[in-house]
Amino acid sequence: MPTEEKTSYSYLEAIGAALAHELDNNDDFFLIGEDVGAFGGPFKVTKGFLEKYGPRRIIDSPIAETGMAGLAAGAALAGLRPMVEFQFADFISCAFDPIINTIARHHWRTGDAMPIVLRAPFGGRLRAGPTHSQSMETYFAHVPGLKIVMPGTAEDAAGLLIASIRDNNPVMFFENKYLYRRLSAQGSPSFEPIELGKANVVREGTDITVVTYSAGVHQAVEAAEELAKDGISVEVVDLRTIKPLDIETVAASVKKTSRAVVLHEAAEFMGMGAEIAAEIQKEAFWYLDQPVERIAAKNTPTPTSPPLEDAVIPQQPEITETIRKVAKA
Amino acid sequence: MATRKRTSTAPEKDSTKPSTLAPPVEKNLSAEVLAALDITDTSMNPPASLEGRDHELLKKLYDGVVKARAFEDRMHSMYRAGDLLGSYYSGNWHEAISVGTMAAMEERDYYCPLHRDVGGHLMRGMPPEQIMGSFMGKSIAPTGGRDGTLHYGRLDLNTYNPPSHIPANYPVATGMAFAAKYRGEDRVAVAICGDGSTSRADFHESVNIAGAMQLPAVFQVQNNQIAMGTKLSMQTNSGSFVIKAAAYGIPGIKCDGTDVIAVYDAMKEAIDRARSGGGPTIVEAVTMRMHGHAEHDGAEYVDPALKEEWGKRDPVELYEKRLIEAGVISEEEAAETREAARKWAIAARKIAITAPMPDPTNIEEGVYAD
Ligand SMILES: Cc1ncc(C[n+]2csc(CCOP(=O)(O)OP(=O)(O)O)c2C)c(N)n1
Repeated sequence: MPTEEKTSYSYLEAIGAALAHELDNNDDFFLIGEDVGAFGGPFKVTKGFLEKYGPRRIIDSPIAETGMAGLAAGAALAGLRPMVEFQFADFISCAFDPIINTIARHHWRTGDAMPIVLRAPFGGRLRAGPTHSQSMETYFAHVPGLKIVMPGTAEDAAGLLIASIRDNNPVMFFENKYLYRRLSAQGSPSFEPIELGKANVVREGTDITVVTYSAGVHQAVEAAEELAKDGISVEVVDLRTIKPLDIETVAASVKKTSRAVVLHEAAEFMGMGAEIAAEIQKEAFWYLDQPVERIAAKNTPTPTSPPLEDAVIPQQPEITETIRKVAKA
Repeated sequence: MATRKRTSTAPEKDSTKPSTLAPPVEKNLSAEVLAALDITDTSMNPPASLEGRDHELLKKLYDGVVKARAFEDRMHSMYRAGDLLGSYYSGNWHEAISVGTMAAMEERDYYCPLHRDVGGHLMRGMPPEQIMGSFMGKSIAPTGGRDGTLHYGRLDLNTYNPPSHIPANYPVATGMAFAAKYRGEDRVAVAICGDGSTSRADFHESVNIAGAMQLPAVFQVQNNQIAMGTKLSMQTNSGSFVIKAAAYGIPGIKCDGTDVIAVYDAMKEAIDRARSGGGPTIVEAVTMRMHGHAEHDGAEYVDPALKEEWGKRDPVELYEKRLIEAGVISEEEAAETREAARKWAIAARKIAITAPMPDPTNIEEGVYAD
């Protein structure tokens, strides 16, 4: 079959391409996860990898999340660069102990590096219910020693993943599964690593700052375009990494606009919005014209049924109206 | 006075007295080894004989597998018609396991199944439209649309509603069995999982606890040869799940999961033992997953020879043939039963399709109990 030149790539393809790029270039890097081999992973990110890289580097794990995370810790200490794929972020809970107690704290206790990437598809909108739709970032953001990366665009996905693989620390890499096939970018993915801990101003504006990440980036941009029609100029900051948190970029934006809204898909209580609002208050209190507002999911589990899920996860009209309200207050 | 014997480092062979030098574990060890031998494998036996069986039971089993199959057929067509929110997790070739299991249980016993157990749920009285509704996010689903797909169950039917995490139903089953023992109630808890699920800590911790506490529990492993795309040889090197019973010091029974009577017999033995204070058993029932992991999965990675071989062992057809040959039912009765089941499934679909979606206004209620 003649290979066609592709002119665009999806968020999912960017991740697959970054994985292949690192597998090609570093023999110490390997991937372990449930059904990552012949099955290609539940979302087909690793389709064809088993044939290309073989069972030494693409490892179908038994259903053993604790075991996989623990294995990664040992392999990392022995000099390899393991990546663990969790089928859904929800199942990371089964590996909570090795992640918190073995992986996250090891470097601080000993000075040894622990270069592991824990990858997981997360998030809602796929009608997958309370144990298949969770946003896990704040469970882990509370733990010193972990980095947390949450790409929101197809353009960023490969560069952030490669930086995560090359980082000498444990990185949790949360992929928004709703974006996998819904986002695409032109050309082919860049393999230039994107520095972790640096936010990106994806849209410049002067009236209000929306701080967000992952799928929120697109909702914020959509709202910004809507509000521009009414003469409201919205700046959108994509955090890209939750930890380290680039509060400098956020504060600089808020100093410029004087108003801020934090948008995320996780439940509001103790969500990232709480931390970011507190940090903005610390860094830019005298610049603020309005209290920082949060747009987040209701404090309930994520339901399955469409009308119920839509009532829990922030929807576009609510997002646009909240931003408008704070901008005009 | 006898002369003092010279002390020997080796204990005398014929001495019945426990030697103080012998480590106390030695005795326990031999008991454990004996228990480890309490493993039966009937999985390669010819079909269990129908002779001397209660015809009512045989017909109940038949009705159960036929209904389960009719339900599966309807769900496959509903998936293709786009009726379902997500995918469907087929229980084809698992009907005999689900039905044989439920027939061996009492109504008061706790049922903690996983995704391919439609037959057992239906037999226990779960209305088919409620299961369909669960795959459609409808208000009539057991969770009213809050949870969906295979996450259904009803405590009023002594049936647990499992979360996604497998096999999270195992530890829960030990808790139900514990409660039964604690309150002196005559109830057994039956937990079910797949071959892949046995790799998780939940499996090992639960079976071990139940063994140590001699809880009235039965742990069933539905060995359908594959877990999503991971074949048995990658899942475990032990090749058999029933043999794991030895490590926990409990009995194990392996049976043919395409023979509803063999499953019934194995489960009955295990449940009777649990009920009479004999502690837990691991029951392994062998079958094959004849569909993808879920409907959206074409399962190209499955060895075609394996599918062909197991394709000859349709648990519903095989059982029907045996009943007719033994004169338990006639050809006409079989045809009537199948047709009644088909109509029953179609009627359920109608109810499920016309049922309303849930009302989101009170979504924030019910996070806490009153
Ligand atoms: C803790 C956990 N990890 C991963 C999954 C994703 N998952 C769902 S079903 C499944 C395979 C189950 O295989 P098995 O136990 O053999 O049952 P089968 O589907 O073959 O009946 C996996 C990996 C899960 N539900 N829970």
